[in-house]
Parts: sequence; C-alpha cells; structure tokens
Amino acid sequence: MLGSRGVFAMKTMELHLTVNGKSLNWSIAPGELLLDLLRRQGYFGVKRGCEKGECGACAVLLDGKPINSCLMFAAQAEGREILTIEGVADGDKLDPLQEAFLDYGAVQCGFCTSGMVISAKALLLRRPDPSEEEVREALAGHLCRCTGYTKPVEAVLAAASKKKNRARRVKPVAEVAR
Amino acid sequence: MTASQIMFDKVEAFYRPANVRAALRLLQSGKGQARVVAGGTDVVVEGDESVRFLIDITHAGLSYIRRRGTACVIGATTTMAELEASDVIQALAGGLLSRAARSCGSVPIRNMATLGGNMANGSPAADMATPLLVLDAAVVMVDVRGRRKLPLAEYLAGARTSRYARSLLVEVVVPDPPDGKGCRWSFQKLGRTAVDISLVNVAAGLQLDSRGRVKWARIALGSVAPAPMRASGAEQRMTGRILDHSLLAEIGAEVAREVSPISDARASAEYRREICSVLTRRALEECSAPAGCSL
Repeated sequence: MLGSRGVFAMKTMELHLTVNGKSLNWSIAPGELLLDLLRRQGYFGVKRGCEKGECGACAVLLDGKPINSCLMFAAQAEGREILTIEGVADGDKLDPLQEAFLDYGAVQCGFCTSGMVISAKALLLRRPDPSEEEVREALAGHLCRCTGYTKPVEAVLAAASKKKNRARRVKPVAEVAR
Repeated sequence: MTASQIMFDKVEAFYRPANVRAALRLLQSGKGQARVVAGGTDVVVEGDESVRFLIDITHAGLSYIRRRGTACVIGATTTMAELEASDVIQALAGGLLSRAARSCGSVPIRNMATLGGNMANGSPAADMATPLLVLDAAVVMVDVRGRRKLPLAEYLAGARTSRYARSLLVEVVVPDPPDGKGCRWSFQKLGRTAVDISLVNVAAGLQLDSRGRVKWARIALGSVAPAPMRASGAEQRMTGRILDHSLLAEIGAEVAREVSPISDARASAEYRREICSVLTRRALEECSAPAGCSL
C-alpha cells in the first residue's frame, strides 16, 4: 500500500464510466476530482465555480441525479453514468429546456446555465409536470450573479408545459396511426 | 494545474472496499494518512493535504434504512435524498428526520451528503444532529476490536478529536419514541438562504397529557455550542407543567442561558442567542398546536 512517495511519481488508476452515452476508459489520478477530470477531457460545459458545492455551476447528472462534480472524486464515478450539458441536446437539436432558456431570456453570461439546465433536466425526468415551488427547489443550488431566478424558473415551467402539450398533440396522431 | 488538483495530488491510492471489514483493514494500514470518504461534501471542502489514501465506503453495504425491533436503523452512507424519500423515515416521529434531511443544502448536495458523514464531520451546525438528539439516537462504531453502540451525544462530543480515528461509524439507531403516537415534533432552522448552513437549528419533541401538561419534552439546538446539544435544563423545567404563553417565554429564556454561541462571519453570538429563544418557542408552538391546547 505504501508505494513510492517520489514527488513526481504521480500514481494513476483506470476508470471505466459512461459519459453522455459513450463508454469510456480513462487514466486518472487517485485524488483527482470529477470536475477536473471532465474538464481535462474537454467537457468545458462543466463549469469551475466555487469548488465548494455552493454555486452548482459544475453540476452533472450521476445515474440521473444531479450532483456537484467539484465535490466528488473521479474514482467514485467507476461504473456510473454521467450526463453533462454537452449530452443534453440531440445532435444539433436543442432539448426543450435549452430552447426555453433561450426563448425566455434566461441566459445572460451563461456561467450558471449548464448547471441549471442539468438540474432542471433531472427534475423533469422525475416530475414531468412540476409546480413552481418544485422548480425553485431544484434550482436553489445554482447561483446566478447576472440576472436572478425568475426567468430560469419561467423557462423550466414553460419547457415542462410544452412537453405536456406536445404529448397531448402527439397522442391522437399515434392512435390514428395504429 | 488548478487549485483543486493540487489539493489532493498527494493521494496515492483510492480504495472502494466492498465491506466494513475491508474498510477497517485499509484504515489500519493507512497509519493515520487514510481518510474515509462517502459523499465527499465535507472531505473535499476541507482539502486536507496530509491525506495519502482515500477509502470510499459507499460500496461497503452501509446504505439502508430498516426497522429492527422497536428501532429504526439507518446505514451510515444513506444519503439525505434517501432519508427524505423513505417511507420508514417519513413514518417516524411525524417525518422529523425527513424534514431535517430536506434542509441539508441543495438537491445536488442532498444526493451526495450522507447521514454518517453529517455526524462524523462533527460540525456544531450538523442539521441531522438535533433531530437525532431529540429522538435519543445512538451510533454504532466499529473498530478492529469489535462493534459498540454509544449515545449520539457522547459521540458528537468527541467527533472532532482523534478518538474515533481508527473507527468507522456504520449505523445510526433511532429507537421508537416513548408512546410514539402521543408525541409531537418540530424542526426549525434559520439560515441566510434556504440552502445555507444553519445559523441556529432547533429540534423539539413534546408529549402532553390529557390535561395539557407536559409529560415528556426534548429540545436540542445546533450551531450554538461546540457540539449540537440538548437543553436539559429547559426540558426539566417544562415537565409536569401546563404549556402556556408564560411557560413558553420562560423556556425561551432558559434555552438562551443554556447555549454558548460564538460570533462568526454568519452571525453574532448575541443574535444567535436571541434566535435560540425564538426558534425554541416556534418549535414548541408547532408541537403543541395539534393537541389543541391554549396556545
């Protein structure tokens, strides 16, 4: 267990995980944080903010649940599924949440946006038709220093009701097709 | 290199033991340079430079919530989110622990933070400590010599010392409250925002007899002493008396005498002391309201 302690003898270990649907094998440092790993691998949508779990800019979904990647060791992601903001859109087609954030002007500098969208995504997966209070609770871990929270809350509610309306519209068509 | 990469770059190995025995072995061989991690929400923020080995206990079979006899037992790596959602926890003491768990930071934090970590970190502000103290909870500690159960208050008093450095907190035991159905419960927390650390938090448990007299009382306060504490003086003073406005005022004042808050960046000691009275009164009012007493 007590191996070489040479200053430059940085230990590494293998990590197998899934990021945005892609199965990956990465070599990591045992003390590396998930945030650092993801950014090192080019997932720059995962933002480095407070690094204390206060601001939520680094949020990603871990097996469908939002977590702060600045507080998790990369090694803890072994065998897990991660969704970053880069995996939210379907190719060039934005997620309804992303569209709603644009439509409602819920984005200013954009630094908090990926975290907010990620947490909102988890909320809508769990509760497709959330109340405003539930949206506010889901976004409470995300600090925005530009504009505030009204527009993001409106955007999430709009995305939810849009999905609902679309489901209503689509359903009869599907029934006709059958 | 970023600040956080530098923070843990002396870590030589990351272990994921599959059971408690393996975790203990690793802790022993780490010779004081090993650190146990679960949710990471405290270990990472603390950023201890001396850590050489990390032992992740989230795969050691400690994530569970079960009824065992006349108690509810909760594995140390059970998350706040799991406590919030659990039917067993919601049915216990009017959902007191679920409500407290819901106040432990944002949704992402609650998906990571664990009950054992909240206790083992030994913070005076630990939000789960006060409701567990009013429920007379105990913790189960395991070391190479074996397993032992000790009262939570005793554990919390030493959680920030090196006393438990070679032990693992594996379980929290919550006995059923005395004559559970007649008891009422409250959890009150004041923080700067909904997801912030407590300036003061108060948990209370109260049982009134048919004539509105206090039969049994528990009051615990957090963030106002070196460790979360019971206000035993106030509890004794209430017992056997009718809970009315004058007794509430008396208890509020007694609680303010019992606490020993400090001033820090979040609040002054004087403010915290005042808030202790206010939150205790609110907690007791909430406990007594369903009984339809005179308040």
